[in-house]
Amino acid sequence: MQSTRGLILRRRTSNVVSKLLGIAATGFGLSWLIWILIVTLLNGARALSPRIFTEMTPPPGADGGLANALVGSTLMSVLGVLIGAPLGIAAGTYLAEFAERRPVWRESIRFVNDILLSAPSIVLGLFVYTVLVRQVGHFSGISGALALALIVLPVVVRTTDETLRLVPNMMREAALSLGIPRWKVTVQVLYRAALPGILTGVLLGLARITGETAPLLFTALNNQFWSPNLNGPTASVPVVIFQFAMSPYDAWHSLAWAGAFVVTMVVLVLSVGARAFLLKNRMDSNA
Amino acid sequence: MPNETPLIHTVTHASGEAGAGDQAAPPRSKIEVKALDFFYRGYHALKNVNLHIPEQQITAIIGPSGCGKSTLLRVFNRIYSVYAGLEATGEVLLDGENILDARFSLNRLRTRVGMVFQKAVPFPLSIFENVAFGLRHHLRLSRGEMDDRVEKALREAALWDEVKDKLHTSALGLSGGQQQRLCIARAVALRPQVLLLDEPTSALDPIATGRVEQLLADLQREYTIVIVTHNMQQAARVSAYTAYMYLGEMVEFGSTAELFTRPQRRQTEDYITGRFG
Repeated sequence: MQSTRGLILRRRTSNVVSKLLGIAATGFGLSWLIWILIVTLLNGARALSPRIFTEMTPPPGADGGLANALVGSTLMSVLGVLIGAPLGIAAGTYLAEFAERRPVWRESIRFVNDILLSAPSIVLGLFVYTVLVRQVGHFSGISGALALALIVLPVVVRTTDETLRLVPNMMREAALSLGIPRWKVTVQVLYRAALPGILTGVLLGLARITGETAPLLFTALNNQFWSPNLNGPTASVPVVIFQFAMSPYDAWHSLAWAGAFVVTMVVLVLSVGARAFLLKNRMDSNA
Repeated sequence: MPNETPLIHTVTHASGEAGAGDQAAPPRSKIEVKALDFFYRGYHALKNVNLHIPEQQITAIIGPSGCGKSTLLRVFNRIYSVYAGLEATGEVLLDGENILDARFSLNRLRTRVGMVFQKAVPFPLSIFENVAFGLRHHLRLSRGEMDDRVEKALREAALWDEVKDKLHTSALGLSGGQQQRLCIARAVALRPQVLLLDEPTSALDPIATGRVEQLLADLQREYTIVIVTHNMQQAARVSAYTAYMYLGEMVEFGSTAELFTRPQRRQTEDYITGRFG
């Protein structure tokens, strides 16, 4: 019995040690995130004022806000999602529902989509610069939105594909056995079953492009003035943060913090909201 | 209306196929299976199956797991064709027409042959919309007609009294037994001629099972019913005819009373007496 006691002791020790190592690793990873969040929130909150939302980005030495950048970011992000999400949903649907008989083709598309998913965003920006900005001859919010759409696209393809594949085959069979054609089964039954997942993908895509800077540098460029016209250079919060944070002016630094604060909060709310929405729907359907 | 299709009367005598219990040959066949073979990506799942499904009767298909009984059932509405690499050869005649013929419209076939699955899978819609779903696609009905058809289907499935006050709530809130009856209502709403049931009670408790079995007894007056079951007592309770399958072959087919009391083949006897299975 002596050896059994030794064994138990050894297992207890290794259990405690591995638990501590796990907690330490998690804490190390999370501490950076929390640090970033705290610094952003503290500095951002200090710089925040109603003027952020009403005044334009100022020239050096003057006071101002981020109104044009906020509007530009909103317009380009929404347009990016409007272009990228429907395409992504259609492609994801094709992969999950209609490519069954061509497995090699299907897996190749999935592979290429994963490459696009992990492509550096600056490459996407350069791509749009080459094929659109250079051809048209000037920077524009539209090309910015297009670059953002290229980021949304693979995210939505992936989540649509995956959530549709999670819908049990029996649901497909049950609907098809009523003599209803495949496309109608997909649109009216499967989409409804997969809706929380697809919406989550779209929201995560939106959250991701809200903070993107690189693809906008060569496409939307920037704009100091009120510019709701997406056919010209358009301001965006991330690019303004980049420009102002690199400057020597305190007023610009403070605006950059405010912009960082707003973007962080939007992304946080979108991501947490998307996940909460998904979780709630999972629990509802399990009830 | 599927029910008004002219019924082509076909010869019903089995032409001496081995083991197909000729003396029990029913008066009229709704479905005739002739030399049916089925392949799952090269695996020979059904071997030269011959069978007559009598009209407006309940026919049970029994046999050990993997014997091909579900596969056979899934040929009757060609639901197998959803997947790549599955192939059926031979003939399956529904009122004399070969449904395996590529020209036979799948959607028309499935309005005539309804199916209920092992696990109840209500669509993520309201109770009403679950039943109305197929109707909306196939028929143009006024609101009143639709209400009538849905009510009738729910009554046929013995579910109406339990759900009439919550028709527009989600079907996912129903109990397992209610969900399965909803699936039956969804299938009978289209007024099919044949109803296929793939182990419809395997996920239900005994009380819910009893209700579904009672329901089948009521439905057989109007429908030709084919039920696949693991449960031999269930086959004996509900069916008029029983087919016993083993390793992809049709071993014996006959009236249920006959097959359970005086099986013609040793294999069948071993299975139903529990010596094997």
